Amino acid sequence: MKKYKIIIVENDEDEQQFMKEGFDSAALFDIVGQVRNGDTLFEWLNTNKNNLPDVILSDLNMPGKNGYDVINEVKSNPLYSHIPVVITSTSSTKTIIEKCLSSGAADYIVKPETFIEYVPYVQNLYKRIEEKQLVKY
Amino acid sequence: MNIDYNLLLQGITEAIVILDTEGYVTYSNPAVMDITGYSLDELHNQHLTVFYPTPEDQVKAEYELGLSLKKRKFLSEGWRYKKDGTKFWSEMYLSPLYDEQKKLLGYSCIIRDVSEKKKLDVELRQSEERFRLMVEAVRDYAIFMLDTTGYIVSWNEGAKRIKGYSADEIIGKHFSTFYTSEDLDSKKPERELKIAIATGKYEEEGWRVRKDGSLFWANVVITALFNDQNKHIGFSKVTRDLTEKRESQESLRQSEERYRSLVEQVTDYGIFMLDEKGRIISWNEGAKKIKGYDEREIIGKYFSIFYPEEDVLNGKPALELKIAKAEGKYEEEGWRIRKDGSPFWANVVITAVYNNQGIHIGFSKVTRDLTERKESERALRDSYERYRLLANELRLTNTELSYANQELEQFTSIVSHDLQEPIRSIKSFLQLINIKLNKEQNEDLKVYIEKAISSADRMKQLIQNLLHYSQLGKTDLVEEDINVDELIIEAIQNVGTSAEKSNAQITVENDIKTVKGDRVQLVQLIQNLLSNALKFTDSQSPKVKITGFHENGHVKFSVTDNGIGIAETDIHKVFEIFRRLHTKKLYPGTGIGLAICKKIVERHGGRIWPESNPGKGTTFYFTLKEQKEMLQPV
Repeated sequence: MKKYKIIIVENDEDEQQFMKEGFDSAALFDIVGQVRNGDTLFEWLNTNKNNLPDVILSDLNMPGKNGYDVINEVKSNPLYSHIPVVITSTSSTKTIIEKCLSSGAADYIVKPETFIEYVPYVQNLYKRIEEKQLVKY
Repeated sequence: MNIDYNLLLQGITEAIVILDTEGYVTYSNPAVMDITGYSLDELHNQHLTVFYPTPEDQVKAEYELGLSLKKRKFLSEGWRYKKDGTKFWSEMYLSPLYDEQKKLLGYSCIIRDVSEKKKLDVELRQSEERFRLMVEAVRDYAIFMLDTTGYIVSWNEGAKRIKGYSADEIIGKHFSTFYTSEDLDSKKPERELKIAIATGKYEEEGWRVRKDGSLFWANVVITALFNDQNKHIGFSKVTRDLTEKRESQESLRQSEERYRSLVEQVTDYGIFMLDEKGRIISWNEGAKKIKGYDEREIIGKYFSIFYPEEDVLNGKPALELKIAKAEGKYEEEGWRIRKDGSPFWANVVITAVYNNQGIHIGFSKVTRDLTERKESERALRDSYERYRLLANELRLTNTELSYANQELEQFTSIVSHDLQEPIRSIKSFLQLINIKLNKEQNEDLKVYIEKAISSADRMKQLIQNLLHYSQLGKTDLVEEDINVDELIIEAIQNVGTSAEKSNAQITVENDIKTVKGDRVQLVQLIQNLLSNALKFTDSQSPKVKITGFHENGHVKFSVTDNGIGIAETDIHKVFEIFRRLHTKKLYPGTGIGLAICKKIVERHGGRIWPESNPGKGTTFYFTLKEQKEMLQPV
């Protein structure tokens, strides 16, 4: 089974911690980086141009560059525009999901009820990436 | 008396010739010579035909003699010839002469020269003929004769044309044929003849009947005719068909009537006539309605009665007539006076009126009461104004609604993220604690509890900020005159501790004495800008400058710092609610401060905008009361 390289953009440190545990338990992704917002994401990408992730998983609501900024900047940069951006957020509001998708997000996945339930979330994320063939080579 | 008959014959002026039984002259008296020029000797034994145009007339002469035998007397009239060959018109009476035994002795022949009489006769006949022909030829008049009892004895072309009968059809009929049955019932024809006899003639206009039964309007003159002896011999009747004339008169009358009643009944316009001096000579319903006078009280009055005293004293009415006469027409709008003394705003047109001979006979005056129109114009203007205001209100409401819609969207986003996140954190930590307790693992419990409390605090802070923000738009502004220096000092005092902590220098340059606005909100506005200026800095000695000055009729403030500045790409994001451009570890906050500032400024009819040099500092400008419309309605 192919493991995808993923970078996680999330400003909440606890959330980051539990997400990592969930991803590690599911063993479907290699976490290549964990950053706290869009600003640090692009710093990371700029310094790791030779080891770019297969998927960017980004929170929406963050101080500094938020999820929308991430989508717009990734999509407008030819170096990164091939990388699918999956937005993840507590909100299941339809208008917000549509706004993300129409801005260029590859997918939108609502965060689990609590951050201790990340394993099924990770499994679902993997399934959707496969189904939608979001990662191209 | 014993008369010598021979002397009688010789002396009588009547020309007498005695003929024998064969018609040869046996005797002629001297009078014969006077007429014919022949002596007795010359005529003796000449045949009677000596007087006839040709000898061949002997046959005729013999025939005439024969007739006289039969009739005892025969008058032969015709041309006879004198000895000198000239002819004369003669009456020749032939009578047979008998002896006592009734034996024919010959004939007596009396010759009269009636040339003169004949000439008169002929002339008379010719003249009569001319009249007859003339009468018969007249086409436009029916001219015909009636006998004394009214029977038709002659007929002309005009009669045929007008009444439709030919002469053959009508001669001998009674003239009452031409009358309507009503006229016949009332014995009108007989009456007319009686009047004609009594007065010489009868004349009238009335309906008569044509052959085809149709009626025509006739002018009829019946003249009684008397001969030289003053004996009544009949009537002449001259009839003219006036139908067309009557129709045109009637249509003229009807047309006049129509216009008259039209004018009389018009109620929206006062239409009346003035004579050349300006006296009112006609009046209509509209004039009555507009000016309040009845026809009988106003006719004959001068039209200056309608003018305000000032106009009358200025001679305006007369001047208007003068202008109307000179230029054909005078038109104006002005005040006029009703009968009850009340003024009305009138449109007046005075037109000079001329008859068909071009003689000036007066003026027509048309007056319209524009008071109502003026009022309706005003009403229209008012209603337009109302609609304009309404439209304006709608526009504002619309702006307000779209603003509200934006806020609702913003609120959705806030609830779904900003508020949901701490709840989710709290739940997560509580669940972790639960798991740990179930496993009887007591390590980290305190950390989780603290994190949950921290999330709850954050949640509380967000809710308070959100409520505070939404309240800004919901309550009325308390508008008062605020001393600006005091306002700035209050704001500085409120950020006191953080200012002291950061060792900041705050300078103020203010030209503005007072502003109108909500004191609490304006303090908060300056305070928020000030605390941002102090927060977003790396400097060891932050410098903040507050200015206030007048610009283009409004007041403009600025808050300038020497802080970290705002990236150009982020500058449009700063006023978004709960937007944080920096992580809370570096620059703590909920992201509500500038959203509140923007709302306060907008509610005070101003604008707020930042100008920034990243790394060098930022200036926030705001104006107050810049544009009334931008004031957010409550």
